[in-house]
Amino acid sequence: MATNTDFDGFGRVSRTAGTLFRYLLLAATLFGLVFVTILLVYVANDAIQPLTADPGWHLTFLLTLVLPTLAASAYAYRRGVEALRTGVFTIGFVVVAAMFSGGAAMIFVDIVEPLTWLAFLLALAVPTAVTALVVSYDHRVSFAAQFVVTVAVFYLSLFGVPGPLGSLAGVPSLAPGLFGFVAGLPYAPAPWLMLAATFGPPAAYVGSRFVAADRDRRAHVLVGAAVFAFVVLGGALAPFAGVDRVPGVVVTAVGLVPPLVYAAGTAANRPTERVGLLVPAAVVVGSLVGAVAVDAVGFAGPQSWVDWQFLTNAHSSTAADAGFYPAVGGSILLMVTVAVLAFPVGIGAAVYLEEYAPDNRFTRVIDVNISNLAGVPSVVYGLLGLGLFVTYLDQPPGTVLLGGATLGLLILPIVIISAREAIRAVPEETRAASYGMGATKWQTVKNVVLPRSFSGILTGTILALGRAIGETAPLIMIGAPNVKYSLPTALSEAVSAMPLQVYAWSSLYASEDFYQKAVPAGVVVLVAILLAMNSIAIVLRNKYQSTE
Amino acid sequence: MSDNTPETEEPARGETADPTNDDMLVETDVASATSGPTPGTTPDPIISSRDLDVFYGEERALDSIDIDIPENRVTAIIGPSGCGKSTFLRCINRMNDRIDVCRVDGELTLRGKNVYDPDVDPVALRRRVGMVFQEPNPFPKSIYDNVAYGLEIQDVEGDHDEIVEQSLKRAALWDEVSGRLDESGLALSGGQQQRLCIARAIAPDPEVLLMDEPASALDPVATSQVEDLIEELAEDYTVVIVTHNMQQAARISDKTAVFLTGGELVEFGDTDQIFENPEHDRVEDYITGKFG
Repeated sequence: MATNTDFDGFGRVSRTAGTLFRYLLLAATLFGLVFVTILLVYVANDAIQPLTADPGWHLTFLLTLVLPTLAASAYAYRRGVEALRTGVFTIGFVVVAAMFSGGAAMIFVDIVEPLTWLAFLLALAVPTAVTALVVSYDHRVSFAAQFVVTVAVFYLSLFGVPGPLGSLAGVPSLAPGLFGFVAGLPYAPAPWLMLAATFGPPAAYVGSRFVAADRDRRAHVLVGAAVFAFVVLGGALAPFAGVDRVPGVVVTAVGLVPPLVYAAGTAANRPTERVGLLVPAAVVVGSLVGAVAVDAVGFAGPQSWVDWQFLTNAHSSTAADAGFYPAVGGSILLMVTVAVLAFPVGIGAAVYLEEYAPDNRFTRVIDVNISNLAGVPSVVYGLLGLGLFVTYLDQPPGTVLLGGATLGLLILPIVIISAREAIRAVPEETRAASYGMGATKWQTVKNVVLPRSFSGILTGTILALGRAIGETAPLIMIGAPNVKYSLPTALSEAVSAMPLQVYAWSSLYASEDFYQKAVPAGVVVLVAILLAMNSIAIVLRNKYQSTE
Repeated sequence: MSDNTPETEEPARGETADPTNDDMLVETDVASATSGPTPGTTPDPIISSRDLDVFYGEERALDSIDIDIPENRVTAIIGPSGCGKSTFLRCINRMNDRIDVCRVDGELTLRGKNVYDPDVDPVALRRRVGMVFQEPNPFPKSIYDNVAYGLEIQDVEGDHDEIVEQSLKRAALWDEVSGRLDESGLALSGGQQQRLCIARAIAPDPEVLLMDEPASALDPVATSQVEDLIEELAEDYTVVIVTHNMQQAARISDKTAVFLTGGELVEFGDTDQIFENPEHDRVEDYITGKFG
């Protein structure tokens, strides 16, 4: 102050209010997180019941699994944070890939016939190849001709002559399409061989891309062949591990190959992160050794409710026999349907709004209303599904298609909003570069904007899918059955889902056992699947941000 | 827009996929290279503007610009910030079309054809007028795909591998990247990225190369590499370069246009004359650093 003549130092300015405010904000940040975590710990404790195991069991795994893993992590950390990160990422990768392969195996064991799958793939691959050939044969084929040829070959391949158009006009089917032809072949190779033939090549391609060095053709071929052989072996040797050949192939290709390829690629190409692979190695070896040791000595494990029986059985009136299998499969089917229905529409809308739409009153109204749609309660979407599909279009209630369409409508605004954000994140300079080269808008969107924003779009849509599989109210509204005893094998069959099954156990069958054991077990499975999906989204987002 | 331009022999560029387009480009270039202008004399203008006004909404960015830019020369446009020099550059390939509030009056001709005529397709125009931007902006694609981008989207005939190699050589980048064409263009250094962008711009063999302060984001070494490159490119291309670095303009350009605040073209002439003996006092003040 000007009046303060004896100047000693600068004095102090009080920060009490600011400090208080800061910690209040911290409390607000952690509030929800802490409570949900506590709840989940209780639920997981009920579901897995770790304390029912022998102390010897815990001790064994402490010695074989926990301590070696900690030691490996500490060693990797001393060699570099990157190494430890790679190691932890690999563990997560193994877990997520295992869960995915389980879901995929479920689809091929119970839902889709391998022959149908092969026929469908062929019916798509052949016209794709024909189209590519036509386009590359002469660049100057006019767009209209290209379009007509493309539509025609796809139609012929999928539906045959004259197909549904003909049956509308009353013409009998003259020749089946490629799909009908292959699906109707009297002789077909063994199902697991067909799956190996369809899953092997993509796995081999990914493997050779990731493991072999860039310009070494020989290494590419060798690695690819090795991966392919591994997939075939997975099917051939599956019976020795007590698994059928069909799930054997799927689990090998989807669950084992990706983490192994990742680990091999890291070991081969990234010397600094190689050490980190000790961590997943410690986990895998530790669990196997621990399991063998516990078995040999005879220590009893925890009486977990999340066990093989729970994952593979259908609902039963006694809690001990109740399983989650149809609900898990139903959720997976719903998710696939939602993805197929909502992604193209949502991404299309986002591209239109970001790249094409003029800035006028009409588009601004659309803008605001899409944000509003994202906030409409899910039960209203259920009502929409019921009214539109069941009452008006006279569809049977509670089917896969109906559920998928309703949930797809529900997440459509979220997909649009997140895809728009990803597209908006493409730098304006990149677009200007493309236009400056004489690209049309379509060429710019196709060659620059979409590739650049792809991972961002994917991240947002995966998170939206997570919202869809957790929804209960719309499924109740459209009349999905609470309890189903088998997986639906067609889009027109009724479907149940994980949250519905949990709801059924907690309300309709609310005996002590159901309430305290089956419900927590179901919740644990549901949350685990959600977390796995979200972790994929997070990994994608980090990768996307690091390449900016 | 002015529609009363006399019709010229230049055919209107219609749809983008005109197969004869590329052949005509090649012929034009060969003709200009063989019978090209002799040094010292001012060749025929390739780009001319008459009474060109540009408005951003109500604000005037360019004030009746008259200019004749000669072929196969480096023409520098200098001036203080906000004088409309980039705006003028973006008029030439109609990149201003992308700004909603931007309005252009008057006439700007490329080889006698008013580019603002209603029958001119801006996309076809931009295929004849390459552009290099201030910030290096390679696509997040491989080095090869970056250079081949224009060839792909314009369906250029010929061996793309060969054209990519030639373009990278002309951009003085081949020696540095020949072994790693599969790597991302974003992995290069700033100066390399800018030369990559130049290679990308010249790969489809445009007639005019527009450069919007191409060296302003680069360090001195990279700047001098890009400057050398521009001088070499002027043997085959008409280069119009915007810069706020007057030494740069003096070093590399044959002609210099000085824009001053208000979007006016104050003086246009041979670079030597502009820098040694400008006619206008305002230009002299600007060049000697009294303002700007």
